[in-house]
Amino acid sequence: MRRSTKTMRLLTPVSAALLLGIGLAASPVPKETSEKSVAAQITDLSAQKSLGSPSAPIKMEVFDDYECPNCGMFYEQTLKPMIDSYVAEGKVYLIHRDLPLPMHQYSRQAARWVNAAARIGKFEVVERALFDNQMAWSEYGSENPKGNIRPIVKGALTPAEFERVDRLMEGCESDSHDELKGCAVDAAIQHDIAVGQLVPVTETPTFIVIYRGQQYPPGVGAISWPLMKQFLDQLLSQR
Amino acid sequence: MPASTQWTANRVLLLIGRLCLAIVFLAAAYGKLRPLNATPWTLHSLEVTPSSLNLSMTFFAMQLDSYRMLPAWAVSPFAHTLPWVELAVGLLLLFGFALRYVCIAATLLLTIFYGAVIHSYAMHLAINCGCFGPNEKLDAWTLVRDGLFFALGIAVTIGAFLMHKRNRAAVSSSPRAELSAR
Repeated sequence: MRRSTKTMRLLTPVSAALLLGIGLAASPVPKETSEKSVAAQITDLSAQKSLGSPSAPIKMEVFDDYECPNCGMFYEQTLKPMIDSYVAEGKVYLIHRDLPLPMHQYSRQAARWVNAAARIGKFEVVERALFDNQMAWSEYGSENPKGNIRPIVKGALTPAEFERVDRLMEGCESDSHDELKGCAVDAAIQHDIAVGQLVPVTETPTFIVIYRGQQYPPGVGAISWPLMKQFLDQLLSQR
Repeated sequence: MPASTQWTANRVLLLIGRLCLAIVFLAAAYGKLRPLNATPWTLHSLEVTPSSLNLSMTFFAMQLDSYRMLPAWAVSPFAHTLPWVELAVGLLLLFGFALRYVCIAATLLLTIFYGAVIHSYAMHLAINCGCFGPNEKLDAWTLVRDGLFFALGIAVTIGAFLMHKRNRAAVSSSPRAELSAR
C-alpha cells in the first residue's frame, strides 16, 4: 500500500504537467488585431464627450449611468481627482460613454440632457452638475421632486447656453428608455450603447484602459482613486 | 463490496478531489498573476515580467476594492499576497504534502471567498468577481460555482482526515508495530 501511495504521489505532478502542456500547445493565438480594431472604433468617436488631450498616452473609456449610485461615487471619488490631475496634465484622455440602465428610471433622461449639453461643448459642466446633485434628482435621493433634471442643468449653464440646450431637448423630455423618434440626441446614446455591446459592457461604472494601442480588461465598480492612480502610474512606467 | 476495494475507491476519490481542488487554486493564482493583456491559456500568457506582475496584481487590487469589504489600507497588501498563497496551496495540494493542514487552509480560503461572493451578491453590487482573473462577472453562477468549491473543500478535508486515521490504525495493527509494542 505504501509503494502504491508513493507511486501516486510521483505520478500526480507528472500527469498534471503533461495535461498543462497539452492545453498550452492546443491554445489559440492571441487576437491582438480584433482588440486593436475595437479600440480604434471607440477612440475615433464622441470627441465632444471626452476630456483631455487625444494624444495622451492613456485612453480611458468610462461607461456610466447618471443615476447609478456607484457611478456617482466613482465620479466623485475617482474621476474628479483624475480629471483635475492626470487628465489636466495630459496623461489620460477620458472618453465618456452613456449606458443608461433600464432599472434606473431617470438615467436615460439625464443622458439626453448631458448629450444635448455636449452638442454645445458644455459636457463637462453638466456631467459634473448631475453627479454632484445626484441625490437631488435621482430616485435614490432624499430630496423631491424626483426626475427633475432641468433646474440642475439650468443652474450649471448661462441663460444663453441653457436656451440652446433646451432647444436641442425638444422631443426628448421623457423618462422612456426607448429611442425617441423626435429626439435629436438619442442617436448619440444609442451609439454609446452599441459600443458597449461590442466590449461587452453590462454593468456601470465600467472603465476600459487603452495604452499603446493595447486594450486592457474592463474594470467594474467604484474603484478608489489611490488604486486607480497606482495602476495608471504602473502603466506609464512600462517600457 | 470487499473492504480493500472500498478502501481503494476512497483513496481514488480523495485523489480526484484533491487534484480538482489543486486545479481550482492553481487556476485562480494563474488568473491573477498572468499578464493582463495576454490571451488566457496561451504560451504568451506565461511570459510574466516584474512589471506585468505588478500591473496584474494592482488590477486585482482594484477588483478587490470594488467588493468594499476591506479597509483601504488593507486592499493592496492583501491583493499582492493572495495570489501567491493560492499558488502555494495549489502546489501543496497537487503534491499531496501535509494534506490535512493544507486542506484546512484551502477550506478556510474557500469559506472567505464564498462569504465575500454571497455578501456582494446580496448587496446587489454590479462588480467583477476577480476570482479567476479579470473580466469575470459576479452573478448567480459565481455563487453556485463557489458553493461547489466550498463543498469540495470540506469533502476533501474530511476525506484527508479519515484517510490519515485509517492509515494510522493500519500501521499500529501491523506485525511490526505489535513487535515494537512488546
